[in-house]
Amino acid sequence: MKIFLQEINSDYEGFSRLIQLAAQTAGCYFDDVEIDMSQTGWIDANMCAPLGAILYKIGRDINSIQLTHVQPNVEAILSKNGFLCNYGWSRKKDTHGSTIEYKRFEPKDDRYFADYIETQMIGNGIPEMSPGLLKKFRESIYEIFSNSVIHSRTMLGIFSCGQYFHKKHRLDFSVVDLGIGICTNVHDRRGLVLSAEEAISWALEGKNTTKLGPIPGGLGLKLLREFIIENDGRIQIVSENGYWELSEGQVNTRAFPEPFPGTIVNIEINTADSKSYRLVSEIRSEDIF
Amino acid sequence: MNGQIVIMVFEVVGSGICVSSDDGQKVHDRIAAALRENIRIIISFQNVESLTSAFLNAAIGQLYGEFSEVLIRAGVSVVEMEQEDLALLKRVVEMAKEYFRDPERFKKACDDALEASDAD
Repeated sequence: MKIFLQEINSDYEGFSRLIQLAAQTAGCYFDDVEIDMSQTGWIDANMCAPLGAILYKIGRDINSIQLTHVQPNVEAILSKNGFLCNYGWSRKKDTHGSTIEYKRFEPKDDRYFADYIETQMIGNGIPEMSPGLLKKFRESIYEIFSNSVIHSRTMLGIFSCGQYFHKKHRLDFSVVDLGIGICTNVHDRRGLVLSAEEAISWALEGKNTTKLGPIPGGLGLKLLREFIIENDGRIQIVSENGYWELSEGQVNTRAFPEPFPGTIVNIEINTADSKSYRLVSEIRSEDIF
Repeated sequence: MNGQIVIMVFEVVGSGICVSSDDGQKVHDRIAAALRENIRIIISFQNVESLTSAFLNAAIGQLYGEFSEVLIRAGVSVVEMEQEDLALLKRVVEMAKEYFRDPERFKKACDDALEASDAD
C-alpha cells in the first residue's frame, strides 16, 4: 500500500490528514506500507506525536513501514527531534535548541516521562521562560500525561513531541494516546449521549469528570484550560471525531468525518509571558481540609 | 488522637516530581494507615518541585471516600507547601468532597476500602 502524505500543520486540516492516514491503514495487516512524502512540504514538528502514534499502530499490526521521498527541510527537522530514527535515519544534532524530542512512553513510564521533560526543558536550554511560567508549563504537561494514562487506559503507549519557535516566542507540545476517547468515556461512564466535540467541551467544564472508583478526578484539563487562557496560548484537542480548540480566549469546535483512534492534546504556550503566576490572596494551610 | 507522625512526600516518592497517581497512592496508603490507628499526620512537601491534581487526588482526595471530613480536618495537616500548591490542594479537596457526595461513588469507595483492609 502506498499513501501520499500532504503538508501537516497544527490545525484542523493537519489533524484531518493524519486521521485519513489512520483510516486508510486501519485494515492493513502483514503489508508493506509506504508513506510517500514527496508532497509533504512541511510538518510542524510537534505533529510527529500524532503521526508517530498512527505509524506505531500500523507497525503493531505487523506491517513494515517505509517513509520515502522525505523533503530536505522536513528531513532536517525530523532528524533533529529523533522522529526519523524510528524509520532508518540517523540522528542530527539540534544546534538551535529548538526541538523537544519525539518519544513514546509506556503508561507506567511516568518517571521516565518526568525525566524527559526535566531534561528537555532545563537541560536542553529551551525555552527562555520566567520561573513561574516554566513551573506552570511543566505541571500542565504532567497533567496531560496523567490524564491520558488514567482516562484512555491505553495499552499502546503515550507519544509526545514539541517544538520551540524562538522568533514567535511560542512553544508547541503534543501528547497523544491510542486509548479510549473522551466521547466513549463520557458515554460509558456518565451515560451521556453527546457528539465527540460536545463530549470534549463537557470534559473541560465545571466539575465534570468521567472518573469512577475510589480516586476522584476531573481537575487536570480544567487547570490546563485556565493556564492557557491566562498565558494567551492555545489548546487543541482531538478525540475520536471531535475537534476542540481554544485560542485567543475563544473556543471553536468541529467534527471530523472519521475518528482519530485515541486522543491528541496539543498546547501552544506564549513563552514571552512574564506573569509571575503567584496568587494574589494568601491561602492558609489550616483552611485546606 | 494517639500521637503524630510526619510523612515526607519527597522520601515516599523518592523525588521532588510528584506527578503520578501511583506515587500519590503510596502517600495515601501511609496517611490512611495512620488515620485508621487514630494517629495524627503531618504531611511535609519540603523539596517538592512539581505537583499535579492526579497525584494529590490519589494521595489526599481519596481520603474523603474513606474518612469523615471531621476526622481528616482533625488528623491531617500539611507543611512546607508553596502557596500555588496549597491552592491546587484546596481545589483537589473541594472536588473530592463534591465527588463523594455522589452516593454511588461513595459506596463504591467504601466497599473498595473495606476489601483492601480485609486483604491486609
